[in-house]
Amino acid sequence: MKVTYNWLKEFVDIKVSPEELADKLTNVGMEVEEIVYQNKHLHDVHVGKILEIKHHPNADKLDVCQVDVGFRKVQIITSAKNIKEGDLVPVALDGADLVNGVKIKQSTLRGELSQGMFCSGEEIGITEDYYTGAGVNGILILREDYALGEKIEDALGLDDVVFDINITPNRPDCMSVIGIAREVSAILKTSIKDIDNYYEVDKADDINKYLSLEVEDKDLCPRYMATVVKDIVIRESPLWLKKRLNAVGIKTINNMVDITNYVLIEQGQPMHAFDYSFIGGKKIVVKRGNGERLKVLNGNEYTLKTNFLTISNAEKPMVIAGVIGGVNSSVTKDTKISVLEAASFARASVRTTSRAIGVRTDSSARFEKGVDLGSVKNGMETALALVYKLKAGTIVSGVLDVKEYEPKEERKEFSLSKIEKILGIKVKESDAVEILNNLGIKTSISGDTLSCVIPTFRTDIERDADIAEEIIRMYGYDVYDKIDIPVLSGSSFTKGAYDPLLKKQDELKNVLCDNGYFETLNYSFCSADASEKLLFRPEHRQYTMIRLQNPISEDMCCLRTSMAYGMLSTIDYNIKHGNKDLKFFEVGRIYIPKALLLTEQPHEINMLSIGSFCQGEDFFTLKGVVEKLLGKFDVKYRLEYSSLPFMHPGISADVIDEECGVILASFGEVHPKALSNFDIDGKVLYAELNIDELMKHAERKIEFKPISKYPYIERDLALVVDESVTAERLLGCIKKSAGEYYVSSRVFDIYRNPALGENKKSVAVRFTLSSQEKTLTDEEINAVMNKMIKDCEYKLGAKLR
Amino acid sequence: MREQILELERKALEELKDLTNKADTDAFKIKYLSKQGLITNLSRGMRDVPSEERPVVGELINKVKREIESRLALLETKYEEEALNEKLRSEKVDITEPSKGTAQGEIHPLHKIFTKLMDACVEMGFTVVTGPEVELDYYNFEALNVPKDHPARDMQDTFFLGGDLLMRTQTSSVQIRAMENMKPPLKIVSPGRTYRVDSDATHSPVFHQFEGLVIDENISMVDLKSMLTQLLKMLFGDDTKIRFRPSYFPFTEPSVEVDATCPMCKGAGCTRCKGTGLIELLGAGMVNPKVLENCGIDSNKYSGFAFGPGVDRLAMVAYKVPSIKNMFENDMKFLSQQNGEIR
Repeated sequence: MKVTYNWLKEFVDIKVSPEELADKLTNVGMEVEEIVYQNKHLHDVHVGKILEIKHHPNADKLDVCQVDVGFRKVQIITSAKNIKEGDLVPVALDGADLVNGVKIKQSTLRGELSQGMFCSGEEIGITEDYYTGAGVNGILILREDYALGEKIEDALGLDDVVFDINITPNRPDCMSVIGIAREVSAILKTSIKDIDNYYEVDKADDINKYLSLEVEDKDLCPRYMATVVKDIVIRESPLWLKKRLNAVGIKTINNMVDITNYVLIEQGQPMHAFDYSFIGGKKIVVKRGNGERLKVLNGNEYTLKTNFLTISNAEKPMVIAGVIGGVNSSVTKDTKISVLEAASFARASVRTTSRAIGVRTDSSARFEKGVDLGSVKNGMETALALVYKLKAGTIVSGVLDVKEYEPKEERKEFSLSKIEKILGIKVKESDAVEILNNLGIKTSISGDTLSCVIPTFRTDIERDADIAEEIIRMYGYDVYDKIDIPVLSGSSFTKGAYDPLLKKQDELKNVLCDNGYFETLNYSFCSADASEKLLFRPEHRQYTMIRLQNPISEDMCCLRTSMAYGMLSTIDYNIKHGNKDLKFFEVGRIYIPKALLLTEQPHEINMLSIGSFCQGEDFFTLKGVVEKLLGKFDVKYRLEYSSLPFMHPGISADVIDEECGVILASFGEVHPKALSNFDIDGKVLYAELNIDELMKHAERKIEFKPISKYPYIERDLALVVDESVTAERLLGCIKKSAGEYYVSSRVFDIYRNPALGENKKSVAVRFTLSSQEKTLTDEEINAVMNKMIKDCEYKLGAKLR
Repeated sequence: MREQILELERKALEELKDLTNKADTDAFKIKYLSKQGLITNLSRGMRDVPSEERPVVGELINKVKREIESRLALLETKYEEEALNEKLRSEKVDITEPSKGTAQGEIHPLHKIFTKLMDACVEMGFTVVTGPEVELDYYNFEALNVPKDHPARDMQDTFFLGGDLLMRTQTSSVQIRAMENMKPPLKIVSPGRTYRVDSDATHSPVFHQFEGLVIDENISMVDLKSMLTQLLKMLFGDDTKIRFRPSYFPFTEPSVEVDATCPMCKGAGCTRCKGTGLIELLGAGMVNPKVLENCGIDSNKYSGFAFGPGVDRLAMVAYKVPSIKNMFENDMKFLSQQNGEIR
């Protein structure tokens, strides 16, 4: 919301500087986002009179002008052709600044001294609608008889200060100059000035001769007022009015339209000025749309649905209520009689309609936030006073006014002690009363009870908390600067608790950091082709992604169903940026829809993904990391070749819960086809853990066995087996054969050589035997070893190497 | 014999003085004390000593031998130590050469802040809870006093998924879920992802919030202030001060924006804080009684406060992250700076 310093001064005496006022407004919750001094960039430009124009002796296209700027005479060289002797023009003198950032310097052009420059409208920051002639391609010729030497900003009224204020949605009443002025008066503790809306009407004429009014849907239009102005002379508005509208960014058009906009900004009441000749049947009907088409002022045509409210004449719709006017309804330069409308429309209806057709106007912005029912009448009065003041036409006697009810100020009671309890500070009774009264809330106090009359424009005030806010924002939040008490000292004891999943994730993350992995963050969004890029097929649970209805871009239009998308994108990004030794992980959720037509919340599954593109990393180094992570859970699992389509079918594994068969994790190399979909050349290792599933398995149980006091015997065995015999089976066989003396075993070397035979490998196993009762003898140990060799030969075809 | 012994002793002690290294002491030891050594030979000469003198001569030989041995031992220790020191000196390494083994990875700066906040709050008696990111309109808006078609909805541009489903725009949705399931007094915090249709130099469509909520019988704005002061001091240093500015959120009343001393310039004014010495960090306020009632909590008996900083922003301020882009780009040149240089 833009308001100007001078406009505010019309309603309240302001004795503080614009900066100070801006600070004070911000401190009460009216955040001033910007202060613009209209003349900030204009400096040393004066009204000058061209006394004489002569051709430049040395240049065909230049003229030498003698100019009187009041306090002295200067010579200016110009190429402009729209000037003549006697013209008043803006003259930028040596050292002047212009709005476009240009700085003027005295110079010599082809041997003739030029002591400044004539300015165009653009160079001093004004447009054609503000000052006729400002838009011409040439020098701005000033019309009025300004004093020579007067500063141009003073002459043209470019001396106001504009505040751009962020109005929060709870204060629609402040979407107006009068609303902000009320805040200012409360801040400065001065009263609002009474404005006398004086106008005269043609008592001989009667509005009922011109017009009748019918409101079909009073829920959507609780009040509608219409007046008629005849004998209209459409012309330019006076400069003072244009100046105001211009300053707050409203284009000026003609006196009647400008009046409606002036009321909109000043009173916050949107208005409309109809051309009476368009009101067929001399009747205005406020009713819902019925599928008609209406071409509106933005050039588009819309179908008026039944939930749109329209202002129609006896024949057809003219305006989409509160949003935008139709092309053949508003005043034009030929208008002779006009109907002025001030109304109130239901905010939800205007919001829905504005959203539905995608049109937002100054009017709809106010209606959808809520226009005070009381401002309808104020708005109309202000508009009529302006019509009278501007001599825009003759006001016909009478007002058509259809209203559901007259807005009444409500009396409410509040508890000062409750307010103090909310604020945590003592509030002096007199302070509370003064603050509220200054805000226009007529207040008296008796005991603990504040008795308040809530003005119609303060629909946001209902409870103690609302009054508490009014008091504290005017009191100043800096009262808290001096208060320093221990945290939550007055509250009940509660025991703190971590979320177990987050706690466990931290544990896993630390393991990964210690193994050289960096944590990453990816958006939860992905592109629509993410599933295809990851080689998912429609039968996969992760194929179908939830689509956003209003994505920012196609790259981010779906919710991820796999962490791999972000990980591979991250690796691709880093490779392209020349980074090496890439080891990453991410914790995050994937979103699996329960049904294709999304009717309920999807499964949000907490996942941990790991990815690396790094020399020295292979399936088994990754396996080591995954085992460390799984070691944080009490889970029995087996490995199977991974079922994930984007994994290398032979160098990847799913970790499967032995009890229920659920996939707890997957890891391995990424499928080369998937890699090429992400534009990655090389080998990427990827793992993902389903944290939600893993969390079903409690902390790993630890139980110690006694250490034997007898020796632990270590032996090695090298067995040649077929490639098809897995390490797991071999160790399983050895463990079984070792029987009661078995302590542990591991593969410590695998050797492959054609000399071993086709498809053979030699697996070296180291195992430890011991007994709790005795020292094992060589005979006992040899017996165990022989049994192992025999068993492995029998069951697995193994040969001692 | 006696003279012979004493002469040998004198000679040996003389030679001992000239021993300057381990090789010399070894040679000396062989010369005098080995099986064929001069002292040992003296003992062999005992045969020629008359038997009545033998004990005396024997004692003398032993005495001389002990004397030489003990003096030699001192020298040996000295020279062994020197030799060891010499060896150790020769083994010296350049301790500034790089370490071996796996490089250290790092937790993302965002999660470092999350962890700090959670640790501090759990210590203060808060329970950490989480909630769904794909949320029902009711939990994200309606129960938080933002009815359908309320203008406050414009404050948070929302990603819609169809029906009543949307991407939550704020972790405040977890407040409602917590209040439905837990009885006051309650203190909860909820970290998580949030989403808004907003993407520019300072906004990311995906960001993170850390929601805090306290509901009890005697909670006021003073409690809110002391709580936030403590948290922000922890993140930005003990000289951090906070300031409230009036604001509006439908689910709190009164509502405030919370500014803190700019940690870059300590309040002196810099480019980061646009010369104000303060940075805008979060929104907070006293829980709107309507929200309590929506969750079946007696608003006459209980009050509470809520706060919800954007954690991305906290991390950016705490660690001087140059751009929001860095937070989601996952560039190794960014991440690796956490443990030293760009790698």
